[in-house]
Amino acid sequence: MRGFRAALLGSALAIASAIGFNTTAMAQGQTLRVGMAAQDVGRLDPHFAVSTIDRVVVAWMFNGLVRFKPGSINPAEIEPDLAERWESSADGKTWTFHLRRGVQFHGGYGELTAEDVVFSLRKSGTAATSAFAADYRAIETIEAVDSHTVRIVLRENIPSMLGILTNYSGGYIVSKRAVEERGDNFVRSPIGTGPFALDRVTPNQSAELVAHAQYYRGAPQIGRISYRFIPSDASRDLAFQNRELDLNYGRGDQTWVNRTRQVPNTVVDVFEPGELAILHLNTNQPPFNDIRIRQAMAHAVNRSELVRFRGQDVAREAQSVVPRGYLGFTNDNGLLPADPARARALLAEAGHPNGITIRVIHTQLPEMLNMMQVVQQQLRRSGITLDLQVVEHATFHQQIRQDLSPMVYYSAARFPVADIYMTQFFHGRSRVRTPTAVTNFSHCSQADSQIDAARVSTDIEEQKRLWAEAQRILVQNVCGVPLIETLLVFARRDNLDYGYELKGSMSLGPLITEATRLR
Amino acid sequence: MTGFVIRRLLAAVPTLIAVLTLVFIIVRIVPGDPALVILGDQATPEAIAALRTRLGLDRSLWAQYFSFITSALVGDFGVSMVTGRSITAEVAAVLPHTLDLTIASMIFGVVIGVPVGIWAALNRNGVVDVAARVLSLLGLSFPVFVSGIFLLLAFSLHWRWFPVIGGADLADYGDRLHKLVLPTVALGLIMAAYITRVTRSAMLASLSEDYIRTARAKGVPWRRVVWVHGLRNASIPIVTVVGLYVGILLGNSVLTEIVFNRPGLGKIIVGALNQRDYTMLQGLMVIYCFLIVVVNLITDLLYGVIDPRVKAE
Repeated sequence: MRGFRAALLGSALAIASAIGFNTTAMAQGQTLRVGMAAQDVGRLDPHFAVSTIDRVVVAWMFNGLVRFKPGSINPAEIEPDLAERWESSADGKTWTFHLRRGVQFHGGYGELTAEDVVFSLRKSGTAATSAFAADYRAIETIEAVDSHTVRIVLRENIPSMLGILTNYSGGYIVSKRAVEERGDNFVRSPIGTGPFALDRVTPNQSAELVAHAQYYRGAPQIGRISYRFIPSDASRDLAFQNRELDLNYGRGDQTWVNRTRQVPNTVVDVFEPGELAILHLNTNQPPFNDIRIRQAMAHAVNRSELVRFRGQDVAREAQSVVPRGYLGFTNDNGLLPADPARARALLAEAGHPNGITIRVIHTQLPEMLNMMQVVQQQLRRSGITLDLQVVEHATFHQQIRQDLSPMVYYSAARFPVADIYMTQFFHGRSRVRTPTAVTNFSHCSQADSQIDAARVSTDIEEQKRLWAEAQRILVQNVCGVPLIETLLVFARRDNLDYGYELKGSMSLGPLITEATRLR
Repeated sequence: MTGFVIRRLLAAVPTLIAVLTLVFIIVRIVPGDPALVILGDQATPEAIAALRTRLGLDRSLWAQYFSFITSALVGDFGVSMVTGRSITAEVAAVLPHTLDLTIASMIFGVVIGVPVGIWAALNRNGVVDVAARVLSLLGLSFPVFVSGIFLLLAFSLHWRWFPVIGGADLADYGDRLHKLVLPTVALGLIMAAYITRVTRSAMLASLSEDYIRTARAKGVPWRRVVWVHGLRNASIPIVTVVGLYVGILLGNSVLTEIVFNRPGLGKIIVGALNQRDYTMLQGLMVIYCFLIVVVNLITDLLYGVIDPRVKAE
């Protein structure tokens, strides 16, 4: 038996040494290895890229006519991309874009022309071929003036015409010929003009990208990107610690940030856009059709406690029904302060001296559930008991759109202009269970006229005044209780240089550009 | 023998159709709209309706069912609603990883579990037996997401023998084997624990039978009594358990796949469920059912090999 054991141990060691190797010795070269919290990519047609995992990767493969300055989400810093210049008519309804010459598509699909741009923007504006069609409703016509000039005519003014043409959502430009040739296959073999082209997707494992040598800003310094799908946070963190990843999707909580900062040669990037979490209160149904109960809710919530729970580095108190930093955001809207005694008094005044119980549908997604449980405890101090009905995430999304929950916890970031957030969440046209529904769970419509007037105004100061007024109205009516804003977090090895300062990214992940390199 | 296999496969067809019908109904009863999942939270009802039409979800349930069954019968499972990729190709890409892990874990479990179970039975209530029972109980109680993380901490982070990221290039056999070691140990330990306990009980029952006493009385060497007469008669419950466990592993090794970042059927099933990917779920269920039928068939054939009376029947 002893001999057998010795032989077994010897064989095991021999096999281990034969097939084992030091993983840190794996060549890094110029392959960027990215770990993402996902099982797989979805649709890589940029006009269907709605999830974080898809948005991050399409931003490396596609360009828009214009772009946010890398590392920024400030609409004031939008700069030329595929269009090298543009002009607009005096009434702001006719826009002419002059395309850069010599821009090449991936895979030998030729030079970008006005036809590609016209095709792409029409595709973006069509419900059957884009998830973002609603953003392009104001466009009346798009036409190619010549091979490198595109004219867009609007039915009415919109707050940020350049915004819908950026490297974000429906603004990406695709190859007309590739879409026509590949048909439904385009979602898994997309062709863009960006610094990286899709090489292959290995289901459940990774998407591999290669540098686009003919990229018009110059060949990328990174040769390949291996975009690994690693759903387990623990395993992804271990892989990062083991130097198998250069860039790692992080969790928006302080414990994770603090722990990851202890990993040698690691930088943790915390950046915009912040996702604003709001408790949307259905003003059409009891109990929230009584404003005193809505006000009680607002007084019962303590935002600074929520920030402490989530972490000072990754979260900040909400100040309005619009996230901070968005064009038109104001912070003097009269948000009700935390005051449990006042909340109890308001409940008693509304006929609930012994408190109230509210049945709420909520998702089992851990980060959302944790936050809701903290809110639940805060509300309990004021006599408001939340009976949480926890359901699976897809079910949550369907049921809240069927008005089955009087209160909806929803956390979201949008294009950084106040109009988009207020229109989708607080405009009467966006009320759920209507033909034009988006995500108005509160059924509020009190600020519709201000939101509509601001949208078509050509005077920026007037727009800002109207947006400020709309925010005050929505806050005063307690259509929702703003909670906190959570920022995006990624960790990287300190030898990864983005080539710009990362303060924000509309693609929800660091932009990998031609200037990004591994030192 | 061939007739038996054909009969068994034909008998599986009604089971397959029943399972497919159930899956078809259940995925549509569960709340959650695939169109909403695909288009995201800013989608308008108009866009959702357009996509539902494109995906064929606006057709009557009968029409959807008929087209699904007729396609499935000719082996066409269509494309994933979410990724647009061919279901057959998607499954073909991950199935080798699942089979690798299942077979390796089974071998690991049998190689460890059977000898330890026999050893424990031969030393009933002795130190070895108590140790085997305690360790097997520990093995059964340790979830793979705990043992897996421990293994990664020790062998990947500390000793750096194995990478944390699992999935390997299928053509690179060395890399494939290398990345299979830790998940096999994590999953195989549970299987070994289970097989140890079953083997021990089956051997205890077998060793107390009259034919063992007769064999010993005839002067048959003890080693032969144990390995030939004892183990062979104890093999039927062991094979049954291994067969059942292999069936479970084929679809339920999702935690192992997640912890070790391996592709696999279990991971695809969970992803398809979360995303309400009806076509993918349906396709996966057909393939999964087929694999279970094959595993059961192999188990039944093994019964005949182990016990000639079964073959005669």
